[in-house]
Amino acid sequence: MQSITRREFVKRTALAGALLTPIPAILEACSTGTPTTTKTTKLTIAAVQGAEDGPLKKVAPMYQSQSGITMEIVEFPYDQLFEKLVTTFQANGSSYDLCMMDDPWMPKFGTMGALQPLDSNFGFTRDSDIPSIVYDVGTWPPPHGPVPPSEQGKSQHLYGITIVGNVEMFMYRKDLATTAPSSWDDVLANAMKFNKPNFYGYVIRGKATNPASSDSLPILWSFGGDIFDTSWKVMLDSTESIDAITFLTQSLKKYAEPGAANIDAADRDRLIAIGQAFQSTTWPAEVTGVVEAQGVSQVIGKMAYIPIPKGPSGKGLGMMGNWLLGIPKGSKNGSAAADFIKWLIKSDNMKTYVQNGGIPTRTSLLNDPALGQANPYFPALAQSLAAQPNWRPRTDQWNAVETIYGTAVNQAVAGLKSPKDALTAAAAQVRTAMKQAGYPS
Amino acid sequence: MNVLPARTSSVRVGRRRLSRDERLGYLLILPSLGAVFVVVTIPFVLVVIQSISSEDGTLIGLRNFTRALENPLLYDAIRATAEYTVLVLPVEILLGLSFALLVHRTVLRPGLRAAIYVLAILPLVVPPVAIGVVARLIYAPGYGVLNVILERLGLMHQEVNWLGDPTLAMLAVASVDVWQWTPFVYLVLFSGLQTVPRESVEAAQIDGANWWAQFRYIDLAYLRPLFVLIIFFRLADVLRVFDHVFILTGGGPGTTTQLLSLYMYRVEFKFFDAGQAAALAVLVLVSFSLLYSLISRALPLERA
Amino acid sequence: MSAMASGRFLRSALAAIALALAGVVYGFPLYWLVVTSLKSKGELFASTVHLVPHNPTLAAYTSVLIDRGFLVLLKNSVFVCVSTVVITLATGLLITYPITRLPLPARLRVNVLTWALSLRFLPPIAVVIPYFAIVRTVQIYDQPIALIGIYSLFNLPFAIWMLKGFLTEIPLELEDAALVDGASRWIAFWRILLPLAAPGIMAAGIIIFTFAWSEFLFALILTATPNSQTFPVGVQGLVTQFEIIWNDMAASGVIAMALPLVLMIIGRRYIVAGLTFGVIREK
Repeated sequence: MQSITRREFVKRTALAGALLTPIPAILEACSTGTPTTTKTTKLTIAAVQGAEDGPLKKVAPMYQSQSGITMEIVEFPYDQLFEKLVTTFQANGSSYDLCMMDDPWMPKFGTMGALQPLDSNFGFTRDSDIPSIVYDVGTWPPPHGPVPPSEQGKSQHLYGITIVGNVEMFMYRKDLATTAPSSWDDVLANAMKFNKPNFYGYVIRGKATNPASSDSLPILWSFGGDIFDTSWKVMLDSTESIDAITFLTQSLKKYAEPGAANIDAADRDRLIAIGQAFQSTTWPAEVTGVVEAQGVSQVIGKMAYIPIPKGPSGKGLGMMGNWLLGIPKGSKNGSAAADFIKWLIKSDNMKTYVQNGGIPTRTSLLNDPALGQANPYFPALAQSLAAQPNWRPRTDQWNAVETIYGTAVNQAVAGLKSPKDALTAAAAQVRTAMKQAGYPS
Repeated sequence: MNVLPARTSSVRVGRRRLSRDERLGYLLILPSLGAVFVVVTIPFVLVVIQSISSEDGTLIGLRNFTRALENPLLYDAIRATAEYTVLVLPVEILLGLSFALLVHRTVLRPGLRAAIYVLAILPLVVPPVAIGVVARLIYAPGYGVLNVILERLGLMHQEVNWLGDPTLAMLAVASVDVWQWTPFVYLVLFSGLQTVPRESVEAAQIDGANWWAQFRYIDLAYLRPLFVLIIFFRLADVLRVFDHVFILTGGGPGTTTQLLSLYMYRVEFKFFDAGQAAALAVLVLVSFSLLYSLISRALPLERA
Repeated sequence: MSAMASGRFLRSALAAIALALAGVVYGFPLYWLVVTSLKSKGELFASTVHLVPHNPTLAAYTSVLIDRGFLVLLKNSVFVCVSTVVITLATGLLITYPITRLPLPARLRVNVLTWALSLRFLPPIAVVIPYFAIVRTVQIYDQPIALIGIYSLFNLPFAIWMLKGFLTEIPLELEDAALVDGASRWIAFWRILLPLAAPGIMAAGIIIFTFAWSEFLFALILTATPNSQTFPVGVQGLVTQFEIIWNDMAASGVIAMALPLVLMIIGRRYIVAGLTFGVIREK
């Protein structure tokens, strides 16, 4: 009897063991993936999927063949890239050696201390061919404008180098209108004039959150409105702000495409590209990717690109949307990563990059006639950069603020709330959020 | 003489084996259950700790909870989630049941049944992101193929703004769910109908029971436990709905289709408000546990 | 009699029409997915929407698999899902074998089943951050093992319920006979129970595979590079702000469907049987 029990016992253990063996085996198989080498053999770049990283993907192999370092580009869509970076930084993960960052993310990463300083660690200096605002946008704390309370007194460092010189601009059909609109009143007049069935006088990019926010901020600013004043006081419910959003979501909306509350950039560009709309705001990436793209667009050569028209404030303020390259703190290949950035922004390499669809920040390239031929928006971009475009408020709370503001604008576009009600409610929410984050209220 | 000892010995053997088997049972089940329990409990404990801490880790009591509960967006999200559930659940169950009955009663050719099975499996294997994109290609203003078709059929003269109108947007979002999950309900109920014993059906037919009576007294009785399970699984899934809403409307217009899952995601990954997100998670976990303990009474478990 | 016959004919005709109509409405999104995957970028920008592609091309498929390198992600997905299936089934058997075959108290059995199902009520969005913290702490961030562990956990309820359904269907007497003949529990399990339950276990495995295959939230949060990224993460990556690459997107959707679909068709009979979770037969 005893012996049977013992045998039984052995078999039971064997059963359990047999069922559990795959676990450690797999554990082992999976944990052997990260060798530690001193010499950099591979650089991993977290990039945004789309027209912004297309040229980077094209020039990276060139660097690979020159340097012998394998370049791996991991692409994420816009929203996910930001979340991915924040979570990776929180984990201080070494997954990425370089990351592409939209400029409004800079405050969050700066506040987190997530990036390696490029000036003090790797000897980056400002190049006179590149507008100073481009360096300012990669600097933390911000060299001008209000500084978040928690960041006051920190020493300034350069953390990001712009590789996509995005500034939001304006486009219209120059084959239809002979003169460029110089003010938002002209824009409205043109919208009314050219609007007809199946051809929309204006395109609103009104999808909730980031799209609606990006589309409306230049108008908000040009009307003298703002999100914060210079001491972080919320200005969203000021008369100027309300006027601006009323202009967009009521006056212009009369001549806008149906379903504007659900239109994102890709939808807008399709409307422009198939010749069903007259004008809209635009980003350089939309121009190269769709509106002037061979085999796709029916309006090649028919569009004009100009800086954002003037509003009642007397100014037309473009919005910065630079994409920067930074080196995460967690990267074990900092200097190799820095070498790549230096290589990329060298004048010659930048030119190759631009020839592959890249959007430069070098004034010399923006004013290069041959490049301008292929990229009709370069002069407008150069002007916009020279005119010191606005950047989105330099606060690590920006994503929350953008979500609240972008939802309010979307509500107004959809006609769910009056612009005044939507903005008043949004202002209250932003005040609460900022107060909780320790800003003066 | 021979029979009696044999019987007693078998009883003795049975009893001895019983206790040994019991030990074996515990030996097998407890480690696995224990491991799963630990893996499930740790995150729960972490969430609770996070929910009563501030960003820098100091304990701040219930302040995160008051913030979470004072936020009007939470109630919008709850309302949207409730609307979504109320739209989606009955439709899926009724449609799934109708098709299960229809196919069970009228489609007898095995080939056709197999074809229907394949068709029903498809939505379960398409990645949700792709479903979202297809839904957008169907409903979008301008290039949405639904409007194109309606127009060519002469049913529509003015473009319908499927995603910009609050009611239509909610219907559009719900329709994707119905499309994806009705087949699941169908498959479960159809499998259930297969198990209804032929004898009871025939007996009923001989008794002159009509279509309705047959369904009401025989099929339904057999299917009842499955309904409970389906309602259970689908309720649990409501908090998983994400991809297609995100791509289709992004929660808009305004916040009308911002379901609880989208809202929590937003607090966590847009606002990076870890405290409030954890408080929301705790609230959701607690209310779902309560809901679960209510439903689990109805679960077909007792007949063990 | 003829009235009844014609009535029956009318009924089946109506049923056929209802089914056909439902089939069209229901099949259209799938049709549209395939059609979109066959269109060229230029055609997506045509002023009118083409219901049938004018110049069908497979360019989107090569673009996804070769140019974008999604083959690696497919390989990751297969590895993660197969491992998930193995672990989930092993754990599931360790839990369901005792409660269905061994004389454990009925209370324990009910409690285990209730508790297993309650796991299904765990909203992923509520626990994704703590799991992220754990994964970080044990240093398996961006490694397939993190996903395997979590998928196994989340699929366990399903596995337990399906396995329970299949195991209870197999008469206890079969094993008892072997035990009386002097076989050990292990032999009875390995030689008798397992072969009988194999189709059911396979069905459960296929369903778990499918669920793991399309999971996205954890895959997004717990991976960072193609070292561990799964296919759905790549698919999501094609939803861009400015670019219209719906054809690539649709193609990746079709590719993602293929493997689980084939598995589901192979295991059809047992999947249909397994979907009742054994709750009916116990009556």
